[in-house]
Amino acid sequence: MKGQKPLGRELAIEINGAKEKVFCLPGETLLHILRNKLDHTEVKEGCGKGDCGVCTILMNGIAVNSCLVMAYQAEDKQITTVRGMGTKKNLHPLQKQFIEKGAVQCGFCIPGQLLTAKALLEKNPSPSTENIQRALSGNLCRCTGYKKIIEAVKAVSAEHK
Amino acid sequence: MIKDHLFPRTVEETISLLEKYAGKARLIAGGTDLIIEMREGKYDFEVLVDIEKLDQLGVIREEGEAIFVGSGVTFAELEESELINKNAVAISQAASLVGGPQIRNRGTIGGNIVSAQPAADGVLALFAFETTLEITGTEGTRKIPIKEAFQGIGKSRIDPTRELLVGVQFAKRKSGEGSNYQRIAIRRALQLPILACAIFVKTRNESIEESRTAIGPVAEVPFRVMRAEEYLKGKSLTEGVLQKTGEIVSEEVNPRHSKLRGGGFYRKQLAAVIVRRGLLEAAAIARRSEACRRVS
Repeated sequence: MKGQKPLGRELAIEINGAKEKVFCLPGETLLHILRNKLDHTEVKEGCGKGDCGVCTILMNGIAVNSCLVMAYQAEDKQITTVRGMGTKKNLHPLQKQFIEKGAVQCGFCIPGQLLTAKALLEKNPSPSTENIQRALSGNLCRCTGYKKIIEAVKAVSAEHK
Repeated sequence: MIKDHLFPRTVEETISLLEKYAGKARLIAGGTDLIIEMREGKYDFEVLVDIEKLDQLGVIREEGEAIFVGSGVTFAELEESELINKNAVAISQAASLVGGPQIRNRGTIGGNIVSAQPAADGVLALFAFETTLEITGTEGTRKIPIKEAFQGIGKSRIDPTRELLVGVQFAKRKSGEGSNYQRIAIRRALQLPILACAIFVKTRNESIEESRTAIGPVAEVPFRVMRAEEYLKGKSLTEGVLQKTGEIVSEEVNPRHSKLRGGGFYRKQLAAVIVRRGLLEAAAIARRSEACRRVS
């Protein structure tokens, strides 16, 4: 094609409240640029094709698989990763309950579980066990059998009442 | 490799871009099928043309006696739409079962149609409603019945490098009409179905005036069991009628033997079971609304 312009451009993306500018290529996924260009390695890569939920982030508050979002699709959006949920000194209630209920084993699925649960509670502060199971059905865990994860989410919703 | 990713603001601009790149640009919506295929190296297009900023593709609205659903409407939006739940609950049921929540937050009904996979839940549900598709390209706009949109597994008659699926349209529910979606899968999430069906019925005084039975994946495209639909005309859903309908369905469908999705023989039997369940649920809705009309 004649008059080709150079590949890629700088995108403005807000991550955990901070406005970032990052140079991206049009074929890159959001997962890739989060991990490899913006040092957000708390966002994990699992299957890379939307089947496990380990790479889940919130985009404008909605839980999505970052492996299936193109970097360019994240421009001007607000991205929340688990780092944006709380800090060691100031844990998010979900993080606190995940620890207290023993919902964490290897930890790999947990960032995704926490973010999906956060989005759920923002929409439905008093979910039933069924609601929680359905909301988390896109986040696979090979260690825990899910029981403690669900208990942790329930505990946070009980606190809220 | 992908050289650019563009976000046109109007349908006209979208078509211009597709025309400009002469087959080297491809439309992208949620990307939940497309991005996987891109990473597998399936395509050689160079430019992505994103529908994200085309607000009119993201609407669900009444259009006279019909409902219009824009191609950019996500499965999550379909699941929660009051209009869809009231008029075509089989569609919201089908949408609620696609993938998992994260997929449903991104995947669109338009993408489901253009991906043309035999087990597509959204497509299967639309088959039960005599849905028409509105497609825009450089030649103008055309409308086709949904069954004409497919030419094989993964092969749509809509070319996403040259034309845009704007949306789908189907009739609003009238009194005496009902629908239901049934799906059997190994898990309740993140699984393609072993077998699914979308049922539409119109009842009149306890008997079936009209019905539509769409089943998949048993062929390259959703399969309407026309013989069963014919048989049910004028009949009441008695045990005998349901039994016979099931037999017809089992005879008519020819699912292949699949290591992932179950044996052909098993799925032939299963088809009868899910059609029965679907008919009873759809008829219950139809009868309730018929009763309301009679009372008022």
